[in-house]
Amino acid sequence: MPFESAFSQLFTQDTIIAWVVFCLVVLVLTGSMGYSWYRGRRGQGPLKAVKATRLELGYSGALVGMAIFLVISSFSANAKDYPGTAPKPAMAVAVSGFQWCWRFHYEGTPVTATGQCQGLRNLPVLVVPVGEPVRLDVTSADVLHAVWMPQWRFKLYAYPGHVSSATLTIPRTGKWISRCAQLCGLNHYEMWFWLEAVPRAEFASYLKTGRL
Amino acid sequence: MTAPTRVIPYPSPADKEDRAGLPQWLLTTDHKRIGILTIAAALFLFVLNGALALTMRAQLAQPNQDILSPQQYLQFMTEHGTGMIALTITPFAIGLGVYLVPLQVGAPRIAAPRVTLLGYWLYVFGSLSLIWGFVTPRSGAQDGWWGFNPLSYGDYTGGYGMSLWIAGVFLAACGMILMSTTVLWTALRMRAPHVTLMRVPVFTWTEIVTTLMVVAGFPALLLAQLINAVGRIDPALVSGNGWDILYEELFWFYGHPVVYVMFFPFVGCVAESLATFTGRRFFGYNGTVLSLLLFAAGSMAVWGHHLFASGQEVNDYFSLTSIMLSVPAGIEYFGFLGTLWGGRFRYTTSMLFALTFIPQFLIGGLTGILIANPAIDYHVNNSYFILGHFHYTLFAGSVFGFFAGFYLWFPKATGIMLNERLGKLHWLIMTVGANVTFIPWFILGYDGMPRWMATYPAGAGFTTLSLISSIGAGIIGISIFVFALNLYESARAKVPAGPNPWLAHTLEWATSSPPPRFNFNLTHPVPRVHSYAPLLDAREQAPREQAPREQAPREQAAASGRAEVAGRAGEEA
Repeated sequence: MPFESAFSQLFTQDTIIAWVVFCLVVLVLTGSMGYSWYRGRRGQGPLKAVKATRLELGYSGALVGMAIFLVISSFSANAKDYPGTAPKPAMAVAVSGFQWCWRFHYEGTPVTATGQCQGLRNLPVLVVPVGEPVRLDVTSADVLHAVWMPQWRFKLYAYPGHVSSATLTIPRTGKWISRCAQLCGLNHYEMWFWLEAVPRAEFASYLKTGRL
Repeated sequence: MTAPTRVIPYPSPADKEDRAGLPQWLLTTDHKRIGILTIAAALFLFVLNGALALTMRAQLAQPNQDILSPQQYLQFMTEHGTGMIALTITPFAIGLGVYLVPLQVGAPRIAAPRVTLLGYWLYVFGSLSLIWGFVTPRSGAQDGWWGFNPLSYGDYTGGYGMSLWIAGVFLAACGMILMSTTVLWTALRMRAPHVTLMRVPVFTWTEIVTTLMVVAGFPALLLAQLINAVGRIDPALVSGNGWDILYEELFWFYGHPVVYVMFFPFVGCVAESLATFTGRRFFGYNGTVLSLLLFAAGSMAVWGHHLFASGQEVNDYFSLTSIMLSVPAGIEYFGFLGTLWGGRFRYTTSMLFALTFIPQFLIGGLTGILIANPAIDYHVNNSYFILGHFHYTLFAGSVFGFFAGFYLWFPKATGIMLNERLGKLHWLIMTVGANVTFIPWFILGYDGMPRWMATYPAGAGFTTLSLISSIGAGIIGISIFVFALNLYESARAKVPAGPNPWLAHTLEWATSSPPPRFNFNLTHPVPRVHSYAPLLDAREQAPREQAPREQAPREQAAASGRAEVAGRAGEEA
């Protein structure tokens, strides 16, 4: 699953860097407080120096180096999520948001699924085959919506009159909650659906009968 | 004399603006009064929009509550977002500039004061327009502070609320543009002799780059609202994916620079506070000025990172520009930390807010670098993680920076001191409240809680953290109460401030508190300026004579006829 693995790797790396930077700044901050106390005890006034040009240049160079490293890792992660040539999908699903629920149409088949976006009981279910690339063609029937599958670190906005596509591969069977992540009006808070990954055989029978 | 000198006409004593009547205040051309009016209006809206936030947190404290209906929730949220960003923190940022920049550059007035006043009133009427929406049938706007189309169009959002929102946002943005141009012009063209651009205080530099961004970025918001206005009259004229994307690009072309508009002036407040209360000249001034300019230029090229998940944006380019902003931001932090190192700290309320700003804003900044990665943003975009990120920058950062500035300059603007004990209590409660409220949001967002949720079901796993956050919001509410109490107490106690109660370094502290009508006069001349810390220079050269507490606290101008800005007369002769 590209979105999840790219996210996990990058999030871990950048969070570690962020913590190191945060701790360093807090260290200098508290260090200055201590140093101020120490200078006070020795009756010394504040330092007079107003610049440290070479230190600042070196520091800026390090910042640029760090930023370039972060940019490169950002590019490489994004290239995993949206490769130049996406893997050939086993199935393409037209995912359409509307006020206020979801409709899934399995392209090339007569199967269309929807449900009731109210509470957790009768939510629509997006069924996909496990371990195979599935292309989602995301669009909207009215205002902006967004498909968000938190478990798989994936999100794509749905625009009326436009189709955005992404290819996912769900690596294991299971059922995960997905939510609308774009303000779309009053019932936005209820616009949820299930993502369910099933083995190939079950998926084939789902396409035939329209139920699991 | 090589430096160019300009004669600035001094007022005649017939000028009636020193009077305290209501019309004299509301129609004033004194930048100090316009600045105070702006900050006062924004503080009122800060409390109002904060009360809306508290109501929303009450609604979200438990699952499936109906303190607010979904419609009311979205209306409160829209007013809270638009109100805090466009009508509170931006006016804080610009209002501080209107008050302080002329003083800090040694000018007797702001450039084109009637334009500044017009800007103020446009802002006030814009704010009233938004609030007016709440008393119309079908009530206020409910489409978020972005007002994205086509949801904002007549097809999907009926009633007058959204139309009044568009009008209000448009007017307030016009007002901010006008006020900013006069601040910018003052800083660039009305500086006293010897006050070169590289001798203005860091705060004035932050205002220069801020007003540049307002002038460059805010017109895009006006265009965007024209699209929305047409869409409410006849949606067919502006429907289709192209218009949707155009609106979003225009909106964020305003919406990202405005983030730094709501940041830089508070960096300036913190910088002045740190320099004052460490007794040090701000460290790495040149690097900070350069980084501010780079940052402002770069801020115009990062808007697309709001649309990483749209599937219609050049993600890598905007990831590159956004991550690169960490370089100038890092240089600004170098200035902060360099100023702290080797200082002699005085832990005043202003200093405590400034010191707290540093790590708290850093949390907002570092999570900002995280979400500048498209691969991370695909998950956390439009979630509580983003809300946590920008509440750390805007509340735990900018509002703390604002209070650092407020406690620093309140004695200057009013002539009386704020109560330090209540001030420190305010700081303590607010620091606890901010972190208890906003830390849980990172986890909630990571766990899958979207923005704009009017409520959530019990089984979703959001309950505990939402409750903690709501408790934190209550603590913030208490801190604001302590702040109000402090204002009341201090207004009653009336402890006189004197010209320079903090031993600060910049020109505004050379004049009386509050300053005379035209800022400087014969008793309070503009001192010679050799650096960006002129008063510190003077103290170091003549340490004994300049003990500031010995100066008379409330000397009034007795200038009569046409005088010249004092201290300059000799040069002109």
